[in-house]
Amino acid sequence: MSITTIKLTVNEQDHEVTGEAGRSLVDVLRSDLGLPGSREGCGIGICGACTVLVDGRPMSGCLLLAEQAVGKQLTTVEGLPLADSLHRVQQAFIDHRAFQCAYCTPGFILGTVALLDQNPSPTDAEIVEALSASLCRCGSYRNILGAVQSLRSS
Amino acid sequence: MAVGRSVPMLDSDDRVRGSVPYVANMQVPGMLHGCVLRSTLANGRITRLDASAAESMAGVAAVVTASDFDVPGGPVSLMAAMIKDQEVLARDRVRYIGQPIALVAAETAAIATAALDRISVQYEQLPAVYDLMEAARDGAPLVHESGDSNVFLHGKLRHGDLDAAFSASDVVIEETFHSPIAQQTSLEPHVSLAQWNGGKLTVWTSSQGPYGVRGALAGIFAMDEPDIRVVVPPVGGGYGGKSGTRTEHFSSLLSWKAGGRPVKVLLSREEEFVTVTKHAATITVKTGVNRDGAMQARHVTAYWGAGAVSENTAALARGAMVRLVGPYRIPAVNVDSYAVYTNLPSSGAYRGAMSSQATWAYESHTDSLAKAIGMDPLEFRRRNLLHTGDEFATGETLHGIHFVECLESVVRGLEWDRPIEQPGGALKRGRGLAVMMKSTSPITKSECRLAVDSQGILTLFTSTVEMGQGTHTALAQVTAEAMGVPLEQVRVVGPDTEITPYDANTNASRSTNMMGTAVQQAAEALKHTIVEAAAPLLDLPLDQLTIGGGRVSTLGPAPRQLTYEEIVVGSDVDAFEAAGEHSTSARLDPETGQGIGSPHYHQGAGACEVEVDTETGKVRVLRYAAASFAGRLINPELARLQNDGNVVYGMGPAMLEEMVFDAGQVVNRNLSDYMIPSFKDIPDLLTSETISEEEGEFHGIGEMTLPPVAPAIANAIYDATGVRIRDLPITAERVLRGLSQ
Repeated sequence: MSITTIKLTVNEQDHEVTGEAGRSLVDVLRSDLGLPGSREGCGIGICGACTVLVDGRPMSGCLLLAEQAVGKQLTTVEGLPLADSLHRVQQAFIDHRAFQCAYCTPGFILGTVALLDQNPSPTDAEIVEALSASLCRCGSYRNILGAVQSLRSS
Repeated sequence: MAVGRSVPMLDSDDRVRGSVPYVANMQVPGMLHGCVLRSTLANGRITRLDASAAESMAGVAAVVTASDFDVPGGPVSLMAAMIKDQEVLARDRVRYIGQPIALVAAETAAIATAALDRISVQYEQLPAVYDLMEAARDGAPLVHESGDSNVFLHGKLRHGDLDAAFSASDVVIEETFHSPIAQQTSLEPHVSLAQWNGGKLTVWTSSQGPYGVRGALAGIFAMDEPDIRVVVPPVGGGYGGKSGTRTEHFSSLLSWKAGGRPVKVLLSREEEFVTVTKHAATITVKTGVNRDGAMQARHVTAYWGAGAVSENTAALARGAMVRLVGPYRIPAVNVDSYAVYTNLPSSGAYRGAMSSQATWAYESHTDSLAKAIGMDPLEFRRRNLLHTGDEFATGETLHGIHFVECLESVVRGLEWDRPIEQPGGALKRGRGLAVMMKSTSPITKSECRLAVDSQGILTLFTSTVEMGQGTHTALAQVTAEAMGVPLEQVRVVGPDTEITPYDANTNASRSTNMMGTAVQQAAEALKHTIVEAAAPLLDLPLDQLTIGGGRVSTLGPAPRQLTYEEIVVGSDVDAFEAAGEHSTSARLDPETGQGIGSPHYHQGAGACEVEVDTETGKVRVLRYAAASFAGRLINPELARLQNDGNVVYGMGPAMLEEMVFDAGQVVNRNLSDYMIPSFKDIPDLLTSETISEEEGEFHGIGEMTLPPVAPAIANAIYDATGVRIRDLPITAERVLRGLSQ
C-alpha cells in the first residue's frame, strides 16, 4: 500500500496528513484529524451521517477520497461553534429537541447551514428536499423541521 | 419540580457539537482493527479451512479460527443461551450466509480486510431451507440435526372453552398475515473495543445490555464475571438490535490472541444485515364474533422465523403469546406460538418486538370482523376494548388499562368525525385505526446506587443504557425530584459494570418504569441515611427531624436546617450512598399460558388518513395521530419525541422495509436498496399525545405507537379502496395487485 502526504484545510486550519493513499475523507477526518463529528453510517452516500461542507456545499465524506478534498475549504460540525457559543443552527436543534441518538445530527446541522446559506427563507418543501439527504432512524424529523423553520428569515 | 419538566437531554451540547463519545469514535494507542470472515454458503460442511496465508501477512497481528477453541486454556466455542446452538466461530458446519468463520486483527482496517481474502475455505453444500413456513413442515431440511423438526418451541396459551365459543359465535373469520425479515438499522453499527490486561478484560461496546455481554464473555473465556469490565458510552441507536452479544466476543478473542493489544471491531453496513434481524412472522387469526359486536372466541397461530441460531427467540416467541391476543375482551382464547429455524441470519428484538407482527395481524383482522358484522370499526373497538378489572386471556385481572383513552385520543387527533374530502379522479382517501397491547419483560431486575458528596452533588450509578431515548435525563429528573435538589446538582454515571450495579437489558420499554422505580427506592434509602447522619449534628432524635427541599430541618418553631453538603462535611465522610432495586416476577404456566403475563401492559393507538393513487398503487399518509399511555410523565417533550419517533420508525416496516433473500443471500444489504424512512416518507401531518396520570407509576413509552402504524394504514387503504393487504410492507405493487383483482 502506498503512503502519501496531503494537505487539507479543515475548519480554517491547515493540516498535513500522511497515510495510506485512497482512503475516504471521512476516515481521514475521524482517524487522523480527531474530528469524530462526521460518521460513516452506510459507506455509500445515502445516510448523510458523513456530511462535510466542501467549499460550503454538503457532500458525502464517505464517497470522497481525501485526496479529492485537497485545496478545498472543508467544514465539519466541529468548525461551527463560535468562540464561546454554539452556532445558531446547533442552538435551534437543542431548543427544538431535534435529535435523539444524535449519530445523524451533525449531518443534519451541516445540511441546514448550507441550505440557509443559499436560501435564508426556505419553504417547508425546500427544507424537506434539502434535508432528505440525511436519514434519522430515531425519527426526529418533525422536530428537525421545527428547528429549521425557526431559523428562516421572515 | 424536576419531574414533569421538558428539559433538553443533559448532554445536548455534545449531541449538537458531534462530540458524543460513541464507541465508533474510540481510538486508543496501539489499537488493532478487527474484522470477520463470513460464510458464503447457507448450509454446508466446512471441508477445509486454511488461514496460514493470512497469519503470515505483514501487519496482521492475530487470526482466530475454531481451532483456537475448546483446547486447554482456550475459549469455549458454544455460546450460552436457552438452547446452545451457536458456536462463536463455525468449526465444521455453516448454517447461514454471513455466519462468522474466522477473525483477523491487523494494524489497519485495510490490511485486515485484505487478510480475510487470504483465508481459504472449502465447503460441501447441503440442502437449505429459507422460507419460514416451508421450514416448519415435516420433511424440511433440518437446520440442526439434533432435533427432529425445525420447530424448536411451541408456546401454548389455553383460556376458556374454545370449541364451544366458536360454535356459539354468529360469524367466524380466519385470516393469515405475514411480516417479512427486516433490519434494525442503527446508524452507529455494532462496534466494540476490547483490551486484556493480565487476566482481566475490558470491553467498550455499543450495546443495550452490558451485563448480558459480560455474562456471555465470562462463558466464552470461562472467567468470573467481575474480572470482565463492560463499559457502554452513549449508543448511536439500538432499537432492540443491540440487545445481544454481537461483536464483543470477536474483539475480545482478537485481543486475547494478540497478546492483549486493544482491538476494535466495527461492522460494515452490509455486515449489519447478517448480524441481527427482525423475526419474519406468519400469523393466522381466527375469531368468532356475534352480530351484536361481542367477540367470543379467538385462536392465534404464529410462526416466528428465528434464523439458524435461536439466541433469545425461544423466550421471545413464548413471551409473544400475550402480545398476540390483542387488547379485546374475548372469553375463549387459544394461542399457539412456534419458533422455527431457517438457514438465514438470526433474529432478535426489533423495536416493538413481536408486537409489531402481532398487531399487524390482529388489528387488520379487527376491521375484517367489523366489516363481517356490518359494524363501524371504531364502534366495534369501543365495544370490545379491555378495561381495568377485566379478565385477560392469561386469567389475570388487568390493572391500569387505558385503551379507550388511547383510542379516543387518536380519534380526536385525527378529527375522525370530519367528513373525508375526496379529491376525485384516481385518488381515493380513507381512514384507519389500530390499538396495541404489549407486555414488558415479565421477570427482570434493575439496581442502582445513589451517592451524595461533600459538594452536595448527587451521583446516580446506573447500568441503564442511553441510546437517544433520553433515559439518563429522565433518571436524573427522577433523582432530582426524589432528593429535592435542582437538576443541575445531579450526575448520571454508567453503564460500567465495574462501578454501576446490575440492570437487565435496556429494552422492552422497561427502563423508565424499572430503573425509575429503583432510583426512587435508592433516594428514599439515601434520605434516611442523611437524616440519621444529621441527627447527631443537630443533636436531636430522628422523630424531631424532617427532610425535604435538599435539606434536613428540625421540627417545631425556629427550625434549624442543614444542607446535604453540610451533613456530609459535618459527618467527616466523603459521601453517603444508598442502593435501590426494583424487580418483577410475572410468570405464566408453560403448558396453559395462564398466570401473570406482564407486571403492567403497554398501550398505544394510531389513526390515519391515507390517499391511494388507484392508477399507480402509491399510498400517501396524509395525517397520522398517535397516542400512548405514559403513566406519570417525566419529560413531556422527550416523551412526545418517543411517540413521534415510533410512528416514523414504524413507517419503515409498514411501507418500505423488507430484507430480500436469494438462496439465503441478502440482496438488499445497504441503504440504497433497503429503504428506511427519510424526511419524505413520513406522514404529511403528525400529531401525538402521551396520556398521563399525575399520581401513577412511570411507564415506558419506547415502542407503544409503533405497532399500530402498519395496520392503521392498511385499514385506511381498505376504507379507501376495499383492498385488504395482508403482507408487509405495503408497497405500491401490492396495492395495485389488490386493485386489479
